[in-house]
Order: sequence, then structure tokens, then C-alpha cells
Amino acid sequence: MEILQYALRKLIGGLPLIIGVTLVSFALMVYFGPDQTYLLLGKNPTPEQILEVRQQLGYDQPFLQRYLGFLREIVTLDFGTASTGERVTELLAKTIPVSLILILPGFILGHVVGLLLALAAAYWRGRWLDKLIMAVAVTGMSVSFLIVIIGFQIVLSSSDGLDLFPVRGWNASSLASYLSYVTVPTLATMFVALGYETRFYRSIIVEEMSRDHVRTARAFGLPESRIFFRNILKNCLIPIITRIMFSIPQVAIGGALLIESYFGIPGIGKATYEAIITGDQPVLKAVVSLTAILFVLVVVLTDILYRAVDPRVTLK
Amino acid sequence: MSAVALPGVAPVRARGESLWRKASRKFARDRLGMVALGVVLIYFLAAVGVWLGWWAMGWPDLSGTKWEPVSGTHWFGTNIIGQDIFDRAIYSTATAFEVGLIVALAATGIGAVLGAFAGFFAGSWIDEVLVWLMGVLDAIPFYLFVAAVAYALTDNPWAMHLAMISTFWVGTGRLIRGEVIKLRGMEYVEAAHSIGVPEVVIIFRHILPNTSHILLVQASVMFVGAIKAEVILSFLGLGIKDGMSWGLMIDESTKEVLAGFYNNFLAASLLMFGLVMAFNAVADALQDALDPRKVG
Repeated sequence: MEILQYALRKLIGGLPLIIGVTLVSFALMVYFGPDQTYLLLGKNPTPEQILEVRQQLGYDQPFLQRYLGFLREIVTLDFGTASTGERVTELLAKTIPVSLILILPGFILGHVVGLLLALAAAYWRGRWLDKLIMAVAVTGMSVSFLIVIIGFQIVLSSSDGLDLFPVRGWNASSLASYLSYVTVPTLATMFVALGYETRFYRSIIVEEMSRDHVRTARAFGLPESRIFFRNILKNCLIPIITRIMFSIPQVAIGGALLIESYFGIPGIGKATYEAIITGDQPVLKAVVSLTAILFVLVVVLTDILYRAVDPRVTLK
Repeated sequence: MSAVALPGVAPVRARGESLWRKASRKFARDRLGMVALGVVLIYFLAAVGVWLGWWAMGWPDLSGTKWEPVSGTHWFGTNIIGQDIFDRAIYSTATAFEVGLIVALAATGIGAVLGAFAGFFAGSWIDEVLVWLMGVLDAIPFYLFVAAVAYALTDNPWAMHLAMISTFWVGTGRLIRGEVIKLRGMEYVEAAHSIGVPEVVIIFRHILPNTSHILLVQASVMFVGAIKAEVILSFLGLGIKDGMSWGLMIDESTKEVLAGFYNNFLAASLLMFGLVMAFNAVADALQDALDPRKVG
């Protein structure tokens, strides 16, 4: 009950953020964005037709009125129809699951493997394994995401390489074809994430290792493994949770956008990219407001998770 | 106080050694950092040569035929329409420095000033507005934001720079805000207050210079971030409009690699990898050298 109340209060506290995000993106993408009038009209339109389309799109209304209309759409979750004639809600329902099953494996593997490597590096700090892992991590950080994608594609999918997986496209009708299409994007996402995650996790673990309470525990003669898991790792949970939670909104759109447009996968990232280029306002509005809402949800959920792992944190 | 130099005895270091003196001494002893700095300087010289028009001026010329192999006239071969890949790759180095330097300097400046104001006036409405703004910019997905700015500015060649600057400063702003909150409680700031130094002067003369070690590291991190972002944005068609860049070269090469021609891809990605790697190492060495907790 206490948690529910807290969550509700936090959600209301997130309203200014949602208003800010929607206002900025509305101004940029819709108000100053590409004009769709002539895209929707046939050749040689009459002035009356132009006027009619502009009216339909709401271009003749003042800024504030259009923005308020946008807010109304968010509250009712009804974003109208995309320029393709499809309902935006249907488009989202079709594309979001594709993006989720595309991104999740790489996201989870990146964090899990990164954490494991960081643990190994921190545990053997200063030894050759630590140096090797960190050298590989810095190298991984220095390669562009795009180069990683193309590199994996050449090695795994092209006729010059191993030729094991499809070059591009998407088909998740069966588990076997899902696996064959998802492998290369997953490896690329994981590879790019690994460098950053390993470095980050190692630095927080190492910082925790040099704390006074760890030295005290060692002085009391507690077994080293117990110190590592009970005294060090448990204290690292808060930054770890923060890191994972806050990368969710970025990965949900940002990561998917490049991968999906490169491999031609019909997910939300590709739909967004196409909407940006054609100025498909209803889709853009929906994506931006969903991201903002996701962001606020993540903030609230993170706070509740803090409380779950650290009893000293109070929800007030 | 002057140190007394005895013959045959190394002079004792003066007690009030500044952070920068100490940092540069520590940096000079960091072998990896020095090598990396040397590599960055070589890249920089390549860029300076392009700016002065000494080399790589033939990048747009059709100087050969399609997909020529590596040779004495075309050091990295030629691309799909017969342009010299070496010239294009070197010219792109200058583009990378332009993007990196402009974005890093502007974003560091904005982050420093806004972060300092937020931190100095923490708890007041100024801080709340600035923190809200940072939250808003963080909550908009980066590529969406860049794309939106690019289209709002209708093909303006600076759209990409502007979009990067207006999002990159947030990280620096948050760091500086935290640091300034710490600094503003210090005695010397209180002393400045008590003798009537105006607040703006306190912020810019007495507080901000004390955050310059953070700013230097942040600027180097953003330099790398901007170069990496440029590659992806140019590939998506949202980046460099006039000229040549590693991102545009990689974009070109995606049509070539599937046909089995790798020169364009390798030239752009290896050159970029070298610069980013070296700069990452410099940033790491800087961070170590400027961290007062690490004694050297």
C-alpha cells in the first residue's frame, strides 16, 4: 500500500517531465517538421484541395491548440492514422513486439556477460586477466556500432565469410528462423555494450572493494569469497540497478533504430526512422510520448527497486 | 618559499605544487597515455594539412576506374566510381576533428555554465528549471532528437552539430552541478561572499576554474562521442551534408562489401578506430593524472 501510494505520487511528480518532453519534441518534429501537405495530395492540386488537407492535418490552427490536441491524444491513447492509412495503435502493436524480441537477447547478454567479466577483472585486479579484459573492453569501446554491425555481417553472413545466417530481413514465424535472423544483430548489440558495461561494472566493484567496511571484514578474518559476495557485491547493487534501468528507454528506441534500419527489420525503430524522414506526425507523436512515459515509469520503478535491495532507503 | 638546492641532491619539490603541474608530471610518466597522445597529434597534423590545402584535395576527383586495387598511385585503391580512397580517408580525418572539436568545446562550455548556475543556486527555481531541462533532454531518444533537429533546420549543414551540442552538454552539466554544490560550501567562497564579491564573479572567477579538471576529461570524452555519433548519423542520412566523412565512406561501402570489395570499409573504419582508441587512452590517462586520490 505504501509502495502504491509512493508510486502514484512519483508518477504525478513525473508530469512536468512528460510535458517538457512532449513540448520540445512537438515543437521540433511536428511544428517545425516537414510539411506533409503535398505528400498527401495528388498532382496539380487546386488551392481548395490544399486548404482542405491543411485543415485535416491541423496546420491552420495555432501552436497551443495543436499542442493541447496532442496532449489529449496521449491521455486517450488515440493517435489517429499514420500516413500509410494504418491506425497508429495497430502499427505500434505490430512493431513493438518485433523490437522487443530483437533487442532483448543482446541487451540481457550484454549486461550479464559484462558483469561477469567485470567480476573476474575486479577479483583478479592488477593481474594479467584483469589487464587482458580491460584492454579488450577499451578496444571494444573504440569500435563504432555501425562498423561492428557490418563486420559481423561480413564474417557471419556474407559469401566471403562463414555464410551461416541471412544477410538481412526478418522472419520470426518459427523458432529456428527467429534464431537465424536474431543472431547477428544480437552479437553486434552485445559486442558494443560489453566494453562500456565491463568498464563501468569493474569501476564500481573496485571502488566498493576499497571501502573501510571491507577492510574491517577482512581484519575479522571472514573468508574472502563471503566478503566478495556479501559485503562487496551487495553494496554494488544500487549502481547496477540504476545502470540497467536507465538504459532501457535509450535501448528501446535508440539501439533498435540503427539495427532495424540496417537489417530491414520491421520494428518500432525502423517505423520511427521512416516516420522522421517522411514527417509522419501521428507516428512520431506516439513514439515520443511513449518514450517519455517509459522514462517516468523507469524512474519510479528504479526507486522502488532501491528500496527492495537496500532497507536503508525510505520511500517518502 | 624556495627550495634549497644542494649539489648532488635532487631539489625538494616546492610544497604548493599546483594540480596542473602535478597532473602533467603524472601524465608524462604514463607511457601508454604519451603514446596515445602522439598518435592523436599525428592525426591532428593530417587534419591541419587538409585545412591548409596541402594534401587530400583530390578527394572528389574521378582519378581512376572502379575498384582499383592498392597501388602506388592509389594507396588504398579506388571506390565504386573510381575516386581515390586514401585521399577521401585523409580528408575525412579533418572532418572528424571539425565535428569533434566544435561539439566538444561548445557542449563543455554550455555544460560548465549551466551546470555551475544550477549548482550555485541549488534549491532555487533556477536550479529546478535547469534540472528539469536536463531531464527532458535525457528523456528524448538521441537519434530521434538529432533527426528532428536536422529536419527542423531543413538541410542546414550545422543541424547535426547543433543537435549533438544540445544533448551532449547534459552529462557535463550534471557533473559540474554536483561539484559546484560541493564547492559553494567551502570557506573561500564564503569569504568572497562576505567581502561583497558579486555572485557572477564568484561563479566564473572562483568556482568554475576549480572544476576545470572535470571539464578537460569531459571534453575529451565528448570529442570521441561526437566522432562516433557522426558516423552513425551520416549513415542514416542525417549527418555531414557537404564534404566527406568516415560515416559517408562507410555508408558508401555497405554497397561494396556485399560485392566483396572491402578497401573503402577498411580504410574508414580502421582510421576511425585508431583515432577513437588513441583518444580514449588519452582521456583515461588524463583522468588518472588529474585524480588527486591517486598519488603519483
